[in-house]
Amino acid sequence: MKRWLWAVMILFLGACAAETNNETQVENTAEVDESAPEEETLSTGSEDQSAETSFSLPRPSELAGASSESDIMSYERTGIEPHRIEIPAIGVDAEIEDVGLLPGGQMDEPSTMDGVAWYEGGYQPGEQGSSVMAGHIDSRTGPAVFFDLEDLEEGDEIIVTDESGEARVFVVQTSEAYDREDAPLQKIFGYSYRSQLNLITCTGEFNSEAGTHDQRLVVYTVLKEDLPS
Amino acid sequence: MKMNWKRTLTVVPLSAALLLPTATAFADDHGDHGGDGNSMENAPTVSSPAADLRATLDQYLSEHAYLAVFTMQKGIDGSEDFDQIAGALQQNTEDLTAAIESVYGEEAGSMFQEMWENHIGFFVDYVTATAEGDEAGREEALTQLDGYRADFSEFLEGATDERLEAGALAEGLQMHVDQLVWAFDQYNEGDFDSAYDNIRESIHHMYGVSKGLSTAIVDQFDEDFEGSMADTPAADLRSDLNYLFSEHAGLAVTTMQKGIDGAEDFEAAAGALNDNTEGLTEAISGVYGEEAGDAFNEQWSEHIDFFVDYVTATAEEDEAGQQEALDNLAGYRDTFSQFLSDATENRLEAGALADGLQMHVDQLVAAFDSYEAGDYETTYENVREAYGHMFGVGEMMSGAIVDQFPENFESGMPSEMPRTGLGGTSEAAGQTPWYLYSIAVILLASAVVFMTRRPKVQQ
Repeated sequence: MKRWLWAVMILFLGACAAETNNETQVENTAEVDESAPEEETLSTGSEDQSAETSFSLPRPSELAGASSESDIMSYERTGIEPHRIEIPAIGVDAEIEDVGLLPGGQMDEPSTMDGVAWYEGGYQPGEQGSSVMAGHIDSRTGPAVFFDLEDLEEGDEIIVTDESGEARVFVVQTSEAYDREDAPLQKIFGYSYRSQLNLITCTGEFNSEAGTHDQRLVVYTVLKEDLPS
Repeated sequence: MKMNWKRTLTVVPLSAALLLPTATAFADDHGDHGGDGNSMENAPTVSSPAADLRATLDQYLSEHAYLAVFTMQKGIDGSEDFDQIAGALQQNTEDLTAAIESVYGEEAGSMFQEMWENHIGFFVDYVTATAEGDEAGREEALTQLDGYRADFSEFLEGATDERLEAGALAEGLQMHVDQLVWAFDQYNEGDFDSAYDNIRESIHHMYGVSKGLSTAIVDQFDEDFEGSMADTPAADLRSDLNYLFSEHAGLAVTTMQKGIDGAEDFEAAAGALNDNTEGLTEAISGVYGEEAGDAFNEQWSEHIDFFVDYVTATAEEDEAGQQEALDNLAGYRDTFSQFLSDATENRLEAGALADGLQMHVDQLVAAFDSYEAGDYETTYENVREAYGHMFGVGEMMSGAIVDQFPENFESGMPSEMPRTGLGGTSEAAGQTPWYLYSIAVILLASAVVFMTRRPKVQQ
């Protein structure tokens, strides 16, 4: 019932608009008619538009290559090739290396204790989607780059820059620890409407049998521009 | 005015409406040859429940933008077919509502529909106010659109359980509003090239909204999607081709209408159609190489010319010319089908392709003939069919490409989290705590310093 009403209303609105337009249209065409010849001679000397007696349209392929310089309004979140990551709140300033997948499909680990690994099979930091970076919590002998990652709090900033210094700033939202075999991979690595950067390190107990910690800590951060100002 | 609200178009499922026997055949054909490495994944496919949802939203959201743009143009021009194109926009709203309802239920569906119809109404208000030179009315319409944007973002945030965050969504919606308003203003001011650039952008913009919404829905109701994801590289390709093919159909309709009307923006519309062809060519070159891309471009551009020849012949009441254009289109249909069949190594069968292409030609010609005859109901029925048809073409084409080059469409999703620690700071490791190492290291270091200094002391 309700939907019918809306449908009718919309069409009514439409009809009103059409009617009012019919009236004003007369004036519009009159204006256009007067000014049109001038505009044409000004803008183009081509024969294409001249024909009043015989109908002639240029074939679209003849128009190919005609470029226009118009301003385009687009919603664009461009990513950068990450080179350096700074997290002032926990004193991190590290180089970034690109990593892919291991043969078993696991995300590869950072090759150094001081460096951070960006998963290159996913999204670039800054573009729409979740970009992922991982850093070690510790080496065999001591703390590594993301040792203090768990201390990050909502609002802390993360600055990622590319080689030329172009930066993207992310803001910490929340962190969560997951069992290493039961982490929501789609949520961490998948597409997101907002541009996100998710940071991974180990947490929980070290399982010497498996040779790794039992849990992973994920710190979820969002591009500053994507947060309500 | 009489509208046929019960049109069957809305109930025909996307894939069934189209020319898909071959596509579905190979979409189901994947089984055991994808087992390398990524054990969680089968071979990549464009046809999954999640990718289908995304394609449905691709179709209705982008068609909304397309129809809204031209409804606004027809409104300000006082065109005879305004009621019918506005009716098509309304039918699109109902289809979109049905999609939302199927996910979130009836109550959410009606809430959605109410807001959606309101926002279309505000656009119409804007057109009306513009026609009347009523600046305050234009401002009022924009304010109303602002309110809609906030409400609608809240609605989607709530519906998706905050998977879509209202702030970012609102900005995306604002872009949609601004693009339509801008494209309309530019059209109205006679800046047609800019208008059509922004029209293309406004159509493309909706695919981002669709990707965001579909991934949120799939995450929210994962049990309904059989573990499939909407954001795979294969689904991305399908969506990209959906965009390019359907925009082609939409702009072809527009270009033909502008042509027969002798409209001032004919060349801008044709230019937009050319830009679309460039996009398609890039996509084809990216897969099959530049030579194939050039061959594609030539044939594709030619078939657009044939459509315009048909328009010219119609305007001149030259029946022989019309027939010649149709014959040329038939010739194109056969050579182009063969081209695609060869490129995909017969994954697309030439005969079935030719039938599909014929349907595309028939729909555009029917939309045009009825427009010329003033039977606008038929026009917009065919416009919607022609637009929707291309989503089947997109699925078919992307399906063939992914089947042909599966290695290029492996999902980037890792199967496991990375190893990010060696246990040196973990008490539970049954190892010496790290700080003892540190102390040891410090002691060692000082010992070294001590030892190296000693000789100096002796000197």
